[in-house]
Amino acid sequence: MIRIENLEKVYKTEEIETTALNGINLQVKEGEFVSIMGPSGCGKSTLLNVMGLLDKPESGSYKFMDTELLKLNDRERSNFRKANMGFVFQNFNLIDELTVFENIELPLIYNKVPAATRKAMVNEIIQRMNIVNRSGHFPQQLSGGQQQRVAVARALVTKPKLVLADEPTGNLDSSHGNEVMELLCELNEQGTTIVMVTHSSHDAGFSNRIINLKDGHVISEKINKGITEELI
Amino acid sequence: MFKLNLKIALRTLWKNKSYTLINAGGLAIGLASCMILLLYVAHEWGYDKQFSGYEKTYVVYNNSKNNAETLSWAWTPTLMAGEVREKIAGVKYASHSTYPNPHLISYKQNNFKAPAVFADQAFLKILDYEILSGNAEQALTGVNTVILTETLAEKLFGQEDPINKVVKFNNEEVLKVSAVIADVPVNSSIQFEYLLPWALFEKINPWVKNSGWGNNSCLTLLQLQDEGQLSAVSAQMRDIYKRNIPDATNEVVLQPLAKWHLYDHFENGKSVGGRIDQLKIFFLLAFCILLIACVNFMNLSTARSEKRAREVGVRKAVGSSRAALMNQFLQESFLLAFIGMLTAFMLMEIALPFFNSLLNTSLKINYTDWRFWVALVGLTLATGFIAGIYPAFYLSSFEPVKVLKGFGHSGAATLSIRKALVVFQFVFAACLIVCTAVIYQQLQYIKDKPIGFNKNGLIEIPMEGNLRSKEKMALLKTQLLESGAVTGVTYFSRSLNEGGNNTFSVSWPGKNPNDQVLFNFRSAGASFSKTIGAEMIAGEEFSEAHHNDSTHMILNEAAVARMGLKHPVGATFSWGGSPVTVIGVIKDFVVESPYQAPAPMILYHIEDEFEYMIARMNPEGNVSSSVNKIDEIVKAINPNYPVERKFADDNFEQKFQNEQLLGTIANLFGGFAIFISSLGLLGLALFMAEQRKKEISIRKVLGASTMNILTLLNKDFIKLVAIANVIAFPLAYIISSNWLSAYEYRIQISLLPFGIAVLLSLIIAVLTVSLQSFKVAKANPIDALKYE
Repeated sequence: MIRIENLEKVYKTEEIETTALNGINLQVKEGEFVSIMGPSGCGKSTLLNVMGLLDKPESGSYKFMDTELLKLNDRERSNFRKANMGFVFQNFNLIDELTVFENIELPLIYNKVPAATRKAMVNEIIQRMNIVNRSGHFPQQLSGGQQQRVAVARALVTKPKLVLADEPTGNLDSSHGNEVMELLCELNEQGTTIVMVTHSSHDAGFSNRIINLKDGHVISEKINKGITEELI
Repeated sequence: MFKLNLKIALRTLWKNKSYTLINAGGLAIGLASCMILLLYVAHEWGYDKQFSGYEKTYVVYNNSKNNAETLSWAWTPTLMAGEVREKIAGVKYASHSTYPNPHLISYKQNNFKAPAVFADQAFLKILDYEILSGNAEQALTGVNTVILTETLAEKLFGQEDPINKVVKFNNEEVLKVSAVIADVPVNSSIQFEYLLPWALFEKINPWVKNSGWGNNSCLTLLQLQDEGQLSAVSAQMRDIYKRNIPDATNEVVLQPLAKWHLYDHFENGKSVGGRIDQLKIFFLLAFCILLIACVNFMNLSTARSEKRAREVGVRKAVGSSRAALMNQFLQESFLLAFIGMLTAFMLMEIALPFFNSLLNTSLKINYTDWRFWVALVGLTLATGFIAGIYPAFYLSSFEPVKVLKGFGHSGAATLSIRKALVVFQFVFAACLIVCTAVIYQQLQYIKDKPIGFNKNGLIEIPMEGNLRSKEKMALLKTQLLESGAVTGVTYFSRSLNEGGNNTFSVSWPGKNPNDQVLFNFRSAGASFSKTIGAEMIAGEEFSEAHHNDSTHMILNEAAVARMGLKHPVGATFSWGGSPVTVIGVIKDFVVESPYQAPAPMILYHIEDEFEYMIARMNPEGNVSSSVNKIDEIVKAINPNYPVERKFADDNFEQKFQNEQLLGTIANLFGGFAIFISSLGLLGLALFMAEQRKKEISIRKVLGASTMNILTLLNKDFIKLVAIANVIAFPLAYIISSNWLSAYEYRIQISLLPFGIAVLLSLIIAVLTVSLQSFKVAKANPIDALKYE
């Protein structure tokens, strides 16, 4: 589904240049659950942002189901993103001024889904995420785990082909973290492709494949089978 | 401590350059606008106050009563000053003088037509003009003497010493220059370039000596011994007419010289305002603009408070008192006001010449005047204080524990205050837009209103010098027509745009004897209506056949209506006791105020009274070559006089001066006010966009387009501007209908000005806000999310 070739990304400030991605090659098949791991500053978040069309690389190729995405202009990128991708962030990134329901509804509004359909879709996902009784609350009124559930719900409500998760458990304690991970696994089993950046090998254990990054290179790849059970 | 505060203030200002620019820029424009307006107000306010005894000096007003109304004017009998001197105690000086009128004055080859005043010696005692050379003490007691102003003396004599030299007056009288005085101040009601003795006036116009108490032909000024005498003198003056003419209805009121210019509007014999009303508007406008600039500062300072909160917390934690903090924040705003003032200075010096040419004024900053510096320092301090006091209170109120932990979401209260301030600014802006639009509509309406004749391509030439003789008058007419420059010629006893020449002594069958109606009267030449493009409604107009005819009259429609004549042509009425016959009716045409219905008018045909030739330019000819031809012909026939040819429509334009001035000022300073308001809005948008950066990024990640984001950010501001418009409309309606009510001919207030206000304020708001939010909306969303 995703084919990335020779991706390069350099951050420039007044004094220094930092190479975040240094010729990355990567493929993700449909229905896969891929973890990206590596030390701080190895470029894993940058890679995820590029995959989510939130950031532009200097050079390379990024094909999504045979469409070259790096050639798109801003508007096309934005359209492609909202049609195909969902995001889960470490710090949830919910909008404080909107209720749980409204937060989840937001991407549907931007996808121009009619109001009635919107309501049905949001209600469905709220039930699935088990946050029905929280739908009228504001983000600050929820625990971290609940907030992340809302964020996941918001990422899924548009039924994206690809979910990109940036350290989804980073701000959560272990029990809440496991809840979120189980949610992602469940999703993956239903056919959604997931790419997750994580520090935690515990979390990475939930995925099918682990990619290790260092200094902007892929240094190793590992297929996971049955490890999840062993760790628990 | 002060040094430290200053350092922090300077660093804060430097660190936030865009805010500093917006703040200082807004304050500078506000201060400059305010100061220029105040300069104008001071200029008007200073009218006639240059004379040392101005507080004790009064202008004699004559209230003449009839059934309908009381008319007040400063025209009095020549006998009055003498009688006051003799009989009324408490008066130090009483003078009579003419009003300024242009006359020819020449020295060798230099001829100038310049305004002159004939006055007695007391005139110079009351109005103590600065004497530059010569002896003015006895100058006006003689007959053939003259006092020149500096500029005229220079024009006539160049570098020569004018004293005791001889000039010629109207090519007839020989006068000796006895003194030179400084130019009359620009803001003085009596504008002349030379002064002549009253005795000369009597010599040239023999009727003056014999004119009695019924002839109001001059200006009388009084100076009291001291101000306390006013009530006693007023009481004695009131019935001065009745003491001299038994059946007179006239009464006298004394108008202070200092109020002559500004309080020139009389109703029922009392001064009820006038220019002062317009001046008050300007005064208010000056402070409103400054206030708007101050509001910007308040808005931006409180908006940025979160950034300062930590500093406040730390300072309080290490022991600073609230007062010390307030002090610090006030110092910052004083510093900014000071920067604004320096910039305002530059703006003023740059803008004043433009302003002067636009408004036809000659304002300048008088650096040697202590009042200017007091105003300057006062305004700067007041600005700094007003702008800084609320932010100082607000910022210094933070509790250290809370702010050091993080600000949280306590900004709601200040947000609503900020919104209220923005609404306030735009209420003012929308009001100004509506009022400006109404002023322009009214002006256009009056300008477009038919005036009863075709003023385009009509020129007026005064019949002076050689042209006073009938032969030369006829010669000029023939030559002009032959030259092809003009297609028609007629005469008139006054300029087409002049008032005056009116009488009460007209009566007709069926007239109520107590009814006093004022009729304008003019002597008109042959083919008068044809030449000026007016319309005869009935009967015929004067032709060459009506030679010096004092019994046949043409009336205007208003006169016919006033007399109630059903069949005007052939009707008779009495004028000054003699019976006269109506031969024609002319459609009303405007000679006085275009804002009022034309007064009744009587036209007659007496050649001796013709003062102006009126000529219709050949519409097929080239204007400038025609004008040159005309000037040449006039100069050839009347070589001793400068050519005074004028276009009737130029003169007519002057009738709109007041409204034009108001319109221009409202437009100009309204523009500034709006600009300053948008600066504030820009700052607020800057802040809002920054504050909502994270939210915007999230929305973008979720698929919001640039347009979505722009709409989101603009929505709030549009709401505020809409609310402001709603508040402004009733206000603007009241103000503008109040202003309009002073005009007899006025427009109905339409929806258009309000539409313009809504549209303009919204466009301005959207553009301003988008200018900033566009950047945020276009930004890469991840930048804001990455560094949480």
